[in-house]
Amino acid sequence: MAVIRDMMPAFELLQPTSVEDTVALLQRHGERAWVLAGGLDSLDWLKDRVKRPETVVELGGVGELRGVRPTADGLEIGALTTLSEVASHREIVERFGVLSTAARHVATPQIRNQGTIGGNFSQDTRCWYYRGGWPCYRAGGNTCYAATPQSMNREHCVFGASRCVAVNASDTAPALIALDAQMVIRNAGGERVVAAEDYFLGPDIDITRMTVLEPGDLLTHIRIPSTWAEARFYFEKARDRQSWDFALVSVASAIVVAGGQIERARIAVNGVAPTPVRLRDVENLVQGMQPNEDTAAAAGELAIRGARPLRHNDYKLPLTRNLVRRALRALDA
Amino acid sequence: MTDTEIIVESEPRPFSRRSFIKGVIAAGAAVSSTGYLFRASSALAGSPSVRGSIPRLMTLNVNGQSRRVDVLQQETLAMTLRYKLGLTGTKLGCDRAECGACTVLIDGVPHYSCSVLTGAVRERQVTTIEGLVAENGELHPVQQAVLEEGGFQCAFCAPGFIMNMVAMVNENPNPTREEAAHYLSGNLCRCGDYSKILNSAVRAAEYARRA
Amino acid sequence: MAEKLIGQDIVPPDLVAKITGTAKFAEDFRAEGMLFAKLLLSPMPHARVRSIDASRALAMPGVIDILTADDVPAAEPPSERALTNEPHYFGEPILAVAAVDETTAADAIELIEVDLEPLPFVLDPLESLRPNGPNARLGGNTIDGRELKTVKWTEADFAAAAEGKLPMGEPVQEWSVGDLDAGFAEADLVLEDTIVHQSLTHHPMEPRSCMAYWQNGKLHLYGSTQSTARARVSLANSLDMEPEDVVFIGQYCGGGFGSKITMSPIMHVPALLSRKVGRPVMLRITRYEEHYIGRARPGFQAWTRIGWRNDGVVTAIDLYIVQDHGSYGSSGDHMSASAVASLMYQPAAMRFRGLTVYTNTPPRSAQRAPGGAQIVAMLEPLMDKAARELGIDRVQMRRVNAPDHESRFGPNQGGVTSAYVREALDVGAEVFGWPEKSRLSGNRAGTKVTGIGVGLSPYVGGSSGFDGLMVIRPDGDLYIHQGIGNLGTHSFADTARAAADVLGMPWDRCSIIWGDTSDHLPWSSVQAGSQTAHAHTRANHAAAMDAKRKLQEIAARDLGGSPADYETSDGRVFMRSSPSRGMSFARAAERAIELGGEYSGQDLPDDIHAVTVSAAGALAGRGLMGVAKDNYSHDGGTWSWVVGFARVEVDVETGEVEIKEYTGVADCGTVLHPRNLASQIHGGGVQGFGQARSQKWVFDPKWGVPFAHRLYTARPPGILDAPLEMDWGAVDEPDPENPVGAKGIGEPPIGAGSAAITSAIADALGGVCLCRTPLTTDVILAELEGREQPYGPLETHV
Repeated sequence: MAVIRDMMPAFELLQPTSVEDTVALLQRHGERAWVLAGGLDSLDWLKDRVKRPETVVELGGVGELRGVRPTADGLEIGALTTLSEVASHREIVERFGVLSTAARHVATPQIRNQGTIGGNFSQDTRCWYYRGGWPCYRAGGNTCYAATPQSMNREHCVFGASRCVAVNASDTAPALIALDAQMVIRNAGGERVVAAEDYFLGPDIDITRMTVLEPGDLLTHIRIPSTWAEARFYFEKARDRQSWDFALVSVASAIVVAGGQIERARIAVNGVAPTPVRLRDVENLVQGMQPNEDTAAAAGELAIRGARPLRHNDYKLPLTRNLVRRALRALDA
Repeated sequence: MTDTEIIVESEPRPFSRRSFIKGVIAAGAAVSSTGYLFRASSALAGSPSVRGSIPRLMTLNVNGQSRRVDVLQQETLAMTLRYKLGLTGTKLGCDRAECGACTVLIDGVPHYSCSVLTGAVRERQVTTIEGLVAENGELHPVQQAVLEEGGFQCAFCAPGFIMNMVAMVNENPNPTREEAAHYLSGNLCRCGDYSKILNSAVRAAEYARRA
Repeated sequence: MAEKLIGQDIVPPDLVAKITGTAKFAEDFRAEGMLFAKLLLSPMPHARVRSIDASRALAMPGVIDILTADDVPAAEPPSERALTNEPHYFGEPILAVAAVDETTAADAIELIEVDLEPLPFVLDPLESLRPNGPNARLGGNTIDGRELKTVKWTEADFAAAAEGKLPMGEPVQEWSVGDLDAGFAEADLVLEDTIVHQSLTHHPMEPRSCMAYWQNGKLHLYGSTQSTARARVSLANSLDMEPEDVVFIGQYCGGGFGSKITMSPIMHVPALLSRKVGRPVMLRITRYEEHYIGRARPGFQAWTRIGWRNDGVVTAIDLYIVQDHGSYGSSGDHMSASAVASLMYQPAAMRFRGLTVYTNTPPRSAQRAPGGAQIVAMLEPLMDKAARELGIDRVQMRRVNAPDHESRFGPNQGGVTSAYVREALDVGAEVFGWPEKSRLSGNRAGTKVTGIGVGLSPYVGGSSGFDGLMVIRPDGDLYIHQGIGNLGTHSFADTARAAADVLGMPWDRCSIIWGDTSDHLPWSSVQAGSQTAHAHTRANHAAAMDAKRKLQEIAARDLGGSPADYETSDGRVFMRSSPSRGMSFARAAERAIELGGEYSGQDLPDDIHAVTVSAAGALAGRGLMGVAKDNYSHDGGTWSWVVGFARVEVDVETGEVEIKEYTGVADCGTVLHPRNLASQIHGGGVQGFGQARSQKWVFDPKWGVPFAHRLYTARPPGILDAPLEMDWGAVDEPDPENPVGAKGIGEPPIGAGSAAITSAIADALGGVCLCRTPLTTDVILAELEGREQPYGPLETHV
């Protein structure tokens, strides 16, 4: 049978207007349902005809999933809030600037006007073998086409490979990890809350899924505690083009300096592993150190310890090292 | 990129997976000429879900008019505009939210119409390039500015850029050149005429302030 | 006299339509009963179709018919067909299905069984040249003239090349001038390097969608082309039809850059499907498909050795280019590259050797400055390296080698019509502020280091011998028929002004007729290779002179005196010595109709092309006709030049490059349209930035499957990848071999943009040539960090 791209096959479009109804629909349709938020990752899959859901549950009408609300301890962002709103929301800009900065670095204005924070956070990998419909491990097959000696893997991982060498491409994910965000997930059985860094599944745990979401699950809100509201933030995304490009490597950090010393730090990088990576060792290392060039250099070196580059992506090591270095160096400024 | 794809394992394996069929290894060929073949799985096509393949009649608000139109459930707004409503000013350059030629305003906000399901904009106001010229035939101030700056080269990207400029001048009537570039960064011009496009954008803002 | 139009900015006549969405591009047309076609693309890089079973597809409701390679005209290898039974690249169209809508057509494609026998394939030209390397084509791996043949180098050839250096076995094309050994003996400095240049897809904004129907035996095809009149002829020829039986409609073309010069082979699909089923057929080409069938610039794997005297004069160039040819056709970018190198550096001795090797990758074609844009980006950083070693200013280095009007170049040592290269360098240095800016070279601010670049880029800028056709109708207006296309260069309007100026006609009384061959368009040059600004100012000038003569004769006949006593201006022909004595163009047009004969186009010059004869015949009797072949002298090659200057900042910790500033200055003869010239210089420059910095062409080497088929993986430059402001200038000296002094300018800007950036990046790196494009973040960072490069020195499909 022949392959064709570019025309979406038919599906049944369901458009619930409440979380309650959405969760009920997701339970009823189970694995056959695809949840569509902004649609930018989804429609790409559907137009490629690689993923073929029977039913698409479109969330646009679920108003309760939109907007930013203050909570007793920080903010709660509806998963359907657009990246543009996240990028410009005053309280996010003022208190959790690393997130608004990250959101501003996503793709293009039109994509940010439509793409959602929940979608950006939960997006699928951009491994071009996997997205091209190759029958790799992640697609349920029994090989990885990106990790052979001949493979084109410039944009693949240097950490965390486990049969699959894809990377997580989300810009907001490292920022939300740095902010210690909590992800609120609903399903027919009720609600559960997962820490941002625990939201992602590496291929060693489940090679066909990027996140903990299972059929029937709906990411409804993202809670940001005020834990890091007073921190100094840093976000940087290295990329080939200044718009519409995924990160080669990105870094997000939240660091609190007191009395000339680093009191506590959260640092995460993305584009280097199948999941966003929180650099716990680096955080531990820099705690109590003075924010200076030596600290930055030590942090950078530690950040890439254990990295295993593929044939074409050795550059991600110095790039990651240097971006982490800069995150620390920014404290000096 | 951005999606809550809480999806998860779409279909049972044989339904949606591609598979490679092993092919012949070319005799005497160098390493790069060994070949397996790409093939689609055999079970998949020919069974479009029946309910999804039936068009729905819906009302859209486009350029201030209510338009009744039959729409497939998987149909994108760009396709509806171009092939159902005759609004071919909205261009398809990539159909993948990458080039911006299909940019339209939805409730005043620029979107890639190739990547919006028509079914999702029923309650919204859609504005296309055809909706900018006033009833008396007068060009929109943005169009006037573009005209005076000499416009585009091939101009296939023009409708998308212009729609984005319209949103820009509404949101920020006094952009710097750099702000304009960022605002317009979701639109590609392969003729590379960005310098002139920025001239137009800055002038467009000036005209919009006066209007 | 009316003020001369040439040299002024104008609003092109199609602009309002373009900015209001009313301009119709090919995919915007609809016809009653229109069907939609979809393509089945090859899932293998090289294979043979053993059988096709479309029975399940054809049984689907709404599916009307299929078209296979057996239904399309045959072609002699290595020419290409619209559909094939032997796909030569992943993504090559094998068949098409017509259905009532696109969704049905796509579903039908999935039901078709194509049994394919895989054939050996090859992606890297050097692999094909190995002793047992595979050929991309069954008939051979290279082309010599029109002959396909197989060339294999020996193990010894490969062994002779040092690691990472280009092996150089037996070439297919070669030429030399002067004494190479003597040239290198005279040199005080000799540098050599292996340099690679990527292939890159054109990716015009508008994919080559097309729609066709048949009416009373005539094919009506709505397509995207750079050259309307020529597209009709090539389409007719390819279908073994008379041009009169083809109506080609292509008023707007959403970019071509060389990829849509005349017809596209894929136009056969709607043309033949619609004939087969008796209904209109639309073939909407997607971006994914455009990547495959939409053409690409050939990549190079090259080696060069260059010798310089202490004063910077190039004494000798030895150049070897292995060209990645893709799967079809014949492409001579490598030959053009050698001519460009010879012209721009004027070595007394030069040897070129090379060959073009077929690979199982999408077909190549001309892309804006074919060969030129590659070679300048590859060699200009070497000039810088030499300048650095010799202690010579880099602009001065270009000046001492630059050709002048008398210079000769290339294998045949032909001459040029004019070459204001030193003038362009001088103007450029001044506009850019070279003396001050070049001192910023290597400046470090934080992690950013400044690089200053200069890139010189010549390319051919004009052909001759085409026809002009215009009619002054009884309404008194001038109707200028243009067979060239409208891909955004505005030359269909700009070249018409040569006619208006001859007649002194105000612009608002000139109508340009273009884009629809049923509107009677004359024989024209292809709108490619920067030909039109030169060729059609000539042709329109000639036809306007013909019209002027006729106006003068009619006036003399009716009003007395001799024709030479009369002048034309503002829509009147009048006696020079007594301007009130004259007649309006409207009256003259009526008189021409009454007089008939040559005045109204009943009698035509005998040297015009058959296409023009046919168009003029249809217009005969409608007014006073100006029609002529361009017989003006054309002594020498017409070459235009752009010199680009760039300031970049390289972030030494990320390898990211920001282009802060760019200035391009042209020698393109008389400036026809300043604002439009700026657009060409800047737009081409931006394309060059993409070539130098970001644009990718990536294949999995084991499977032959491409990955840069999306815009986000092909990475053409966006608005944030270009500087916020760009400057420009022009020498504005007339070319002696054109009646208005014009030379074309479409080609050179891209090479100038690319070379200025490769030069600037090398400068920021302290003079290190990375000897490849694109110079992406990873490549630069590996150099800065002293790590292994991500790609081998000869790897190009990365």
